[in-house]
Amino acid sequence: MKKSKINLYLLEFSINALLRAKAKNISILLIFTLLVALLSSIFFISNSIRYELNSVVDTLPEIIIQKVKGGREYDIEIDRVDDIIAINGVKSVIARVWGYYYFANAGVNFSIIGINQYEEQYKSSLERLTNRVDFDTLEANSSMLVGIGVRDIMKRNYYNRYFNFIKPNGKLKKMTIAGVFRDDILLESNDIILMSQRDAREILGISPSMATDIVVKVANPKEVSTIAEKIKFIYPDTRVVTKDDLKISYRNIFDYKSGLFLALFTISLFTFFMIVYDKSSGLNSQEKQEIGVLRAVGWSIDDILKEKFYEAFIISFISYLLGVILALFYVYILNAPLLRYIFEGYSKLKTPFELPFILDIETLAIIFFLSVPIYIGATIIPAWRASSLDVDEVIR
Amino acid sequence: MIILKDIVKEYDNIIALKDINLKIDSGELVILKGVSGSGKSTILSLIAGINRPTLGEVIVDNRRVSKLQDRFASLYRRESIGFIFQKYNLIPNLTVSDNILTPLIPINLREDEVRERLDKVLKEFNILDKRDIVVKNLSGGEQQRVAIARAFINNPKIIIADEPTANLDEVLSMSFIDIVKNLKDNKKIIIIATHDPIFFDLDIVDRLIEIKNGKIL
Amino acid sequence: MILLPEVISILILNSLFFIFATIAFFISIKIAIYWDFNKSTKEQYRLEKESFLVSTIIKYIFILKIPLFLFFIFTLDKISDLITGAMCASGVITATSYGVYLLTIKLLNIYIFGLWLSISYLDIRREDLPYTKIKFELFIVAYIFFIIELILMWLMFSSIDIDKIVSCCGTLFSSSSNSTIGDIIRIKQSTLLTIFYITSLLLFIFYRYRVKYLFAITNILFITISIISLISFFGTYIYELPTHHCPFCFLQKDYYYIGYLIYTLLFIGSFSGLNSGVMEALGEDASKSYRYSLIFNSLYIVLVTLYPTIYYIKNGVWL
Repeated sequence: MKKSKINLYLLEFSINALLRAKAKNISILLIFTLLVALLSSIFFISNSIRYELNSVVDTLPEIIIQKVKGGREYDIEIDRVDDIIAINGVKSVIARVWGYYYFANAGVNFSIIGINQYEEQYKSSLERLTNRVDFDTLEANSSMLVGIGVRDIMKRNYYNRYFNFIKPNGKLKKMTIAGVFRDDILLESNDIILMSQRDAREILGISPSMATDIVVKVANPKEVSTIAEKIKFIYPDTRVVTKDDLKISYRNIFDYKSGLFLALFTISLFTFFMIVYDKSSGLNSQEKQEIGVLRAVGWSIDDILKEKFYEAFIISFISYLLGVILALFYVYILNAPLLRYIFEGYSKLKTPFELPFILDIETLAIIFFLSVPIYIGATIIPAWRASSLDVDEVIR
Repeated sequence: MIILKDIVKEYDNIIALKDINLKIDSGELVILKGVSGSGKSTILSLIAGINRPTLGEVIVDNRRVSKLQDRFASLYRRESIGFIFQKYNLIPNLTVSDNILTPLIPINLREDEVRERLDKVLKEFNILDKRDIVVKNLSGGEQQRVAIARAFINNPKIIIADEPTANLDEVLSMSFIDIVKNLKDNKKIIIIATHDPIFFDLDIVDRLIEIKNGKIL
Repeated sequence: MILLPEVISILILNSLFFIFATIAFFISIKIAIYWDFNKSTKEQYRLEKESFLVSTIIKYIFILKIPLFLFFIFTLDKISDLITGAMCASGVITATSYGVYLLTIKLLNIYIFGLWLSISYLDIRREDLPYTKIKFELFIVAYIFFIIELILMWLMFSSIDIDKIVSCCGTLFSSSSNSTIGDIIRIKQSTLLTIFYITSLLLFIFYRYRVKYLFAITNILFITISIISLISFFGTYIYELPTHHCPFCFLQKDYYYIGYLIYTLLFIGSFSGLNSGVMEALGEDASKSYRYSLIFNSLYIVLVTLYPTIYYIKNGVWL
């Protein structure tokens, strides 16, 4: 039974050995911790953003139909709604009027959404709003509701009560700010402006017979792909996007991005590998002598290897824990200054938002695999070299 | 009993030992005399199993030490050999107890057994009150006693000392000889490689073997 | 090629394994050719020292291979979300033509590395290192298998193309058909179960009479038939769904992670079984291997049998 027990004496010896080379080991610990923290931060940020985007997508309708000419999107005819609603299994069809408005002064994009009071809304959050707000009055007064981010940007540009949009024909359209709303999902609602469909058409330049796209709700989720196929068949000039497609592509964008970072990370990891390799290879005469003495008093090559393994495991596991904690602090308490912008992509065009707290075992596993075993791997050959030194020569 | 049979040892085509035949009985105190580089330290390494001969055999108590693989050679060193080095070779940042216990670490003994063995050697070499002091804060004489205590923690049958008095003043050298005298009574084999004349005409020495240019004179 | 973080992690670690295994491979060749324990040459002593490097490398790879295998399954599960039509990891495996071979060889390599360590454990505990030459010859073979695994893995990951899916919509992809799993399901369940329980019985018989090698060979048969019957029959009772043939879903939380227990029992049982054959071949004491193998295999048999039994007791019908 004695054998299977963890050798606490050896563990204690390893800790002491680490402490003996304090300067060397602390610098390695520091670099490795930072590296792990950087890696963890990237994962935490991308997980949080992906979670946000997924929750946005979840609220979307099952099918979105866009008109495509030459690979580019065009406005779609509203009367197509009637053909689509006739397809079996379709619960409702809504023609949406929305678009982006680029506010040059702030260098920011706003999302303008046109609302028709009497139509069903394609999203529950909008549904709640239309129940509360009278869009007829909004239309009559040419006024709008804005998200918090939008309000802040407008304020910074001295638009406190109204905002002047530039229409496609170059003329100005003055809209009064009737109110500010806040949605549960921060990322989405931040840059949104709600107004009546008539005003939205005017600002975005969409003619009354057209819409930006058409969304379809389907009662039974299993029928989505069949219905999508039918629509594609009726209107070959359209792109039919299902909710799952959207989810996948969002996901891919972020996996791709974190993948890209991982590729960069690999390079720094490799560099680090070499540093560790180098540092653990460069034994000074005292360390060599120490190993020689241990061998002479009865340690086997395996015992030395085991001791070196303990050292490597202790230092890399501590770095792993510290790095992850550091990253949690950086991402979720400091809200990831600098790094997050790389991920948002549209970074500057978007207004800031908070990252929701997401932590899963899988991510912790990836970070673990990329830190501890790599570190230990880097010490294998140096440890073996040390263990098989010629005892005879080093103890004299 | 230690037998060295037709030993030849080469290092990179330099012959360090040649035609060494030697037999040491248990209870014997043997001095290997010779200038540095004569090959006496190599003989010690061969007996301790930390080096292996190019030709010939080292047999200790009917075991071919010269042919043991690492695991068994280590076991043999741990159980049968007490090594006293020229420069003590202690780990300066560890305490007296931790230094003395290093040979026991790989075998992961029960705590009470470890303590028992430790107390025994601490008492024997009169360093009981120093047990928790970090070795680098000890005097030369105390360090020497710690080094010897470490060699004794496994109660070995063979004590090997390589130039044990090279760095000691006369007082400490004499105290070392006192320790050796005590050991002699315990029926242990003691082999000391030295060129310090202080050992040459001691009455406890059973044999004085002179080594020159890798050969026994 | 998918640039999923999980995939990159797996590839990074495997590249590291590749470098180390290659070093070990060259040392193994040297040892296989020049090893002679009775020699006292400097070269022989160097080989003895280098053998420690190889053992360390193999230990390192083996210890990481096991959790990494689970992580690999996890990753496939995640990829399945990205491939429309693939419901879980098994869909991904059958989505490319390499999947099934890859999985098989991955498992095989875990067994080989494990057996290597088992031989090595005995070897270094004997004064004359009797199995050193054999174990390094074995590693040369293991290395070739390992390289095949790496190549297959590379091929599989690079043949999963999600960029194509990104630009497409759901209309392009219908649910995939799983041919290999389909083949397995088509075997009649009663035939399968008969073979499964007969094999189990054989295990007990060969255990009782200690028939050299037959116990180990039966274990190979047992692991194969166990996995097939698990997919085809027992799994459906874990899911309580006659159409759900998946060897991975029960690793998930919904089924109380029972899959980990199932596979652990099966792995230890069959590994010990194979090990008994190796021990016999080396003329070593194999009784421990026999015993462990029988205990864990029996636990496995009891566990999987419980599922349909309990289902029948509760519902009074079979699926």
